[in-house]
Amino acid sequence: MRFVLAYLDPGSGSLIVQVLLGGAAGVAVMMKTMGRRWFKRDEEPEPDSEQADPEALADSGDEGSIDRATNLPGDRA
Amino acid sequence: MSSQFRPEPGSFRDPSGRVFHASGKVYRALDQRGLTDFRALESTGLLGALIGEGNVVATRLLAEEEASALDPPEGRAGILEHEAIPFLSYPFEWTFSMLRAAALLQLDILERALAAGLTLKDATPYNIQFRGARPVFIDVGSFQRLGAGEPWVGYRQFCRQFLYPLMMRAHLGIPFQPWLRGDPEGPSAADISAMMSGRDLLRSGVAMHVSLQARAERRFQGDAVRDDLRRAGFSTEMILANVRGLRKVVEGLAWEPPSSEWSEYAEDCQHVAAHRATKETFLRAAIDRVGPGRVLDLGANDGFFSRAAAESCEVVVAADADELVLDRLFESLAAAGSDRVQPLLVDLSNPSPRMGWRGQERSALAERARPDLVVAYAVIHHLVVGRSVPLAEVVGWLADFGCPVVLEWVGPEDPMARRLAANKRPEEIHLDYREWGLSPLVEEQFVVQREEPLPGGTRALLLLIPR
Repeated sequence: MRFVLAYLDPGSGSLIVQVLLGGAAGVAVMMKTMGRRWFKRDEEPEPDSEQADPEALADSGDEGSIDRATNLPGDRA
Repeated sequence: MSSQFRPEPGSFRDPSGRVFHASGKVYRALDQRGLTDFRALESTGLLGALIGEGNVVATRLLAEEEASALDPPEGRAGILEHEAIPFLSYPFEWTFSMLRAAALLQLDILERALAAGLTLKDATPYNIQFRGARPVFIDVGSFQRLGAGEPWVGYRQFCRQFLYPLMMRAHLGIPFQPWLRGDPEGPSAADISAMMSGRDLLRSGVAMHVSLQARAERRFQGDAVRDDLRRAGFSTEMILANVRGLRKVVEGLAWEPPSSEWSEYAEDCQHVAAHRATKETFLRAAIDRVGPGRVLDLGANDGFFSRAAAESCEVVVAADADELVLDRLFESLAAAGSDRVQPLLVDLSNPSPRMGWRGQERSALAERARPDLVVAYAVIHHLVVGRSVPLAEVVGWLADFGCPVVLEWVGPEDPMARRLAANKRPEEIHLDYREWGLSPLVEEQFVVQREEPLPGGTRALLLLIPR
């Protein structure tokens, strides 16, 4: 269940920085998210399939969901 | 919505709850989500502990019959009643140490909330008020349950409204108040980064919280990253590590300039010591006669008279424009645990205006002050000579407070007044001050109930009662 309400804009960059500020626990998360994001932006724009659909992800909290999301068929809407 | 309820103009951003005033009391109407979060907070025991320590305003959930009797607005699921804070102040009216104390309280409450499975949905100093020199957290609606894998949503706001303003003062010597008054969101990471040099990168917390954050904000602007973080295993421990690190950074920030224009006033000026006892006796007699609950001490300097007044009044607002003087006063009051004297940084010739959304979100100082007694010791010549305000204007401004005034008249021939006028020609000083004197102006608006000349012949103390 997702019950967190953010009326405040947390800022994308400020969210990502929190991974680096997360101490030892942040290292693994950093490998998964930050490195990929930080370095990818220097290349060509991400293909469409990399853009996770927030609606499709809203209720999926498990580790595997990222793969499911990025491999969704084209008519997922 | 019932007309009995007056919505608080500064409380509308959070969709889950809104503060209202009714019959002089403060209420918060919660929607179902807000009520569930409140019950979660209550059930952990954290709220009771924080209220007991004086760190959060006293709060209770009204029983259904009490809530119904108030005829509350449509759609509310529950109503909280909060303790009213006697005098509201804003971060741009605080000194360095006041903002620092507020920042540490914010971090402390967040850390304890996280340990209880909760978080704070924002991180703004507007959620903190001062009871004298004690910071108190007032936004009980900010607590909410923390979802698995959720980051700290208020981190950026904490940086912009607490950390960067403190760093401005501590590392760069730049006062943060003009910035916060001009831009209530606070300086961005890019703003503060532009103010700093490469050498500042070596200071605690600057590389990560300023430089890296500025770079990341530029790089990832508009990216939806929250779900990515959650899936990658973002955890509460990571927020805790950040909060603990931030506390070390904030604790390490210091602002200790050797002196300021007014910091040695009491020691340097002989007239101050010579007149102090007479002025104190006069003030105590005025307080006995007026019986004020709230005193506004204009030009409070080291707070000597504010402290004297606080012995018999509920709250004394010690207003001054010199940050160092007030900061030292705050530190000394905080060390003594004083909850009656509240330092307030304000330039009397430019008091805080209405601000924010529709020009109503933050009220003007004149609307918040509502004193029962104004003390204006050794302030009149600074306004008339120093700030070129006509004497008639100053008297009219004092009359606008609508309460008795304890005034120290400082005539144009006084050595201090002459020093202020050292680089002015006589005709550059307002005629009403130069020649007419106080009596004709004061008698239009006040009855002079007591008058006592001070040694030296250029000053006098007056107790003025509005007509």
